[in-house]
Amino acid sequence: MSPATPPKASFLTALADLPKNVWKSIFRNPLPSNDLERSSTSFTNFFLHIHPVKVHKNSLRPAYTFGLGLISFFLFVILIVTGILLMFYYVPSTTQAYDRMLDLRGSVAFGTLLRNMHRWSAHGMVAVVFMHLCRVFFTGSYKKPREFNWVVGVILFLLTLFMSFTGYLLPWDQLAFWAITVGTAIAGYAPVIGKDIQFLLMGGTSVGQEALLRFYVLHVAVLPAVLTLAIAIHFWRIRKDGGLSRAEDADPVVSLEAAPAVKASVLEPKKTYGFQGLVRGPLAKVGQIPDNTVFSWPNLFLAELFTFVVTLSAILVLSLLFNAPLEEPVNALHPPNPAKAPWYFLGLQEMVSYSAFWGGIGVPGIFVLLLLGTPYMDRSTKGVGKWFSRDRLLANTIFITFVVANIIFVIIGTFFRGANWAFVTPW
Amino acid sequence: MAVNLKRSSGEDSDGKTSRRRMLGWLTGAGLAGSAGLSAVSNFVFIKPRATYGQPQRFSVGKPEDFPPGTRAVLASRGICIIREGTKLAAISTTCTHLGCTVGAADTGFACPCHGSRFDQDGNVTGGPAPRPLPWFQVTLAPNGEIEVDKDIEIVPGSYLSL
Repeated sequence: MSPATPPKASFLTALADLPKNVWKSIFRNPLPSNDLERSSTSFTNFFLHIHPVKVHKNSLRPAYTFGLGLISFFLFVILIVTGILLMFYYVPSTTQAYDRMLDLRGSVAFGTLLRNMHRWSAHGMVAVVFMHLCRVFFTGSYKKPREFNWVVGVILFLLTLFMSFTGYLLPWDQLAFWAITVGTAIAGYAPVIGKDIQFLLMGGTSVGQEALLRFYVLHVAVLPAVLTLAIAIHFWRIRKDGGLSRAEDADPVVSLEAAPAVKASVLEPKKTYGFQGLVRGPLAKVGQIPDNTVFSWPNLFLAELFTFVVTLSAILVLSLLFNAPLEEPVNALHPPNPAKAPWYFLGLQEMVSYSAFWGGIGVPGIFVLLLLGTPYMDRSTKGVGKWFSRDRLLANTIFITFVVANIIFVIIGTFFRGANWAFVTPW
Repeated sequence: MAVNLKRSSGEDSDGKTSRRRMLGWLTGAGLAGSAGLSAVSNFVFIKPRATYGQPQRFSVGKPEDFPPGTRAVLASRGICIIREGTKLAAISTTCTHLGCTVGAADTGFACPCHGSRFDQDGNVTGGPAPRPLPWFQVTLAPNGEIEVDKDIEIVPGSYLSL
């Protein structure tokens, strides 16, 4: 017998190995069983490589983040998927839009469910993004070096509100029409450019076909693209800013004594020395520092999967239990009485009922400017990484005041306003 | 293309701006200018030149259709025709606050959206409305019909005498 030659790859063995080879060409790693493979899996998988290989234990503490950022993102994913599906049946036309809503209810398979999911995810996203913003504020996480990511976050919050605002003209029902009539009129109160913005948004002098088409394009193309880009920057900055914020004492401080250097006189000028030839004493500090990080695989990925499953389940249950409201078709002659915006804009509507400029432009504008400027005005580095840290009493109190005031306005607008926006008692 | 990584001060030894810096400035200005121009043309593009909607000037009928004492809300036109004796006027029913349609109330007009209230002549009596309801120009066309022009606001209280 001749020396062992590799068996000739026949067509049949290639065929037999085909599934294995295809699998291996896609996934370079086996399911990880050691630390090297755990790192490698995080590196080589497109969807996982956004994550760090190792993540700090503090970032995985549910009571620290409540997973609010992740939930916001997953709600956005659900909105993209259900939104694209709804686009297959929707026509942005004043004569057809409302009928298409009825079709979704009556004749499209899963139409009601998809519309419910889209609506409740949208409401959920507004709420969760705001809670996420509160979490970041109360833990002082906007401080250096995370100032810019806080700014991106505030922009994401505004984009979320604008997404929902453009979305609810689309059913072309009474709520849609009057909410947008009022909303664009508020924009008209902005100084100098207000009237131009109003005209550009509506594509004319009143809410009609042009406005519907414009809001549709903003809702399904422009804003999702901008939002996706901003989310990408937001995530990228988390990595570049050193992961999620944590308290200074999250890692015990270990003093590292420098190893004494070898005297230069001992060294021979013509010889090349390795690093270890130049210093004496215990060199390897690696492993001596308490390591509070764990591998992302499986710790972080399981946490993310869990959050996703819980988010999707919650939306599914809500969508099976409650139907998204659809009001009467648009009647441009008679606003419903009272004409109310969705709950998260009722605080704004309540403020607007005192003064259009101050309620709709002035106060919200100042609030947004304060939010954007927060990390540049509050330069103290104390109290990062702890909920309601005592070092941040003043900042937290101011913020809570704004939040509570807005919640009170929302409650008044929701329960205490009746016909002609007159004050009523709900009992 | 080779790039010289050495930073030049941009100035020759005799203190004059170097050709390199000059070209840098020109390139930057050209790119910024192009970006600005394309932003402006996008703005021009999305600002409609023609709008689709109701004409602002229209006929509402003969004077006989509005006998003395009438207060008729023409919902589709967004106006209310008032006739007192031989005097006639058209008041807007679009709320000056945020554009909702006001309804006729006992004391004048009331807005369902944010609670603005107006008296019979459109003056603000309550709520957040910043201005009274505008009055529009009313003329008698040669064919004897009443013509309202919503582009022309007139002083409140000025009527057309029939």
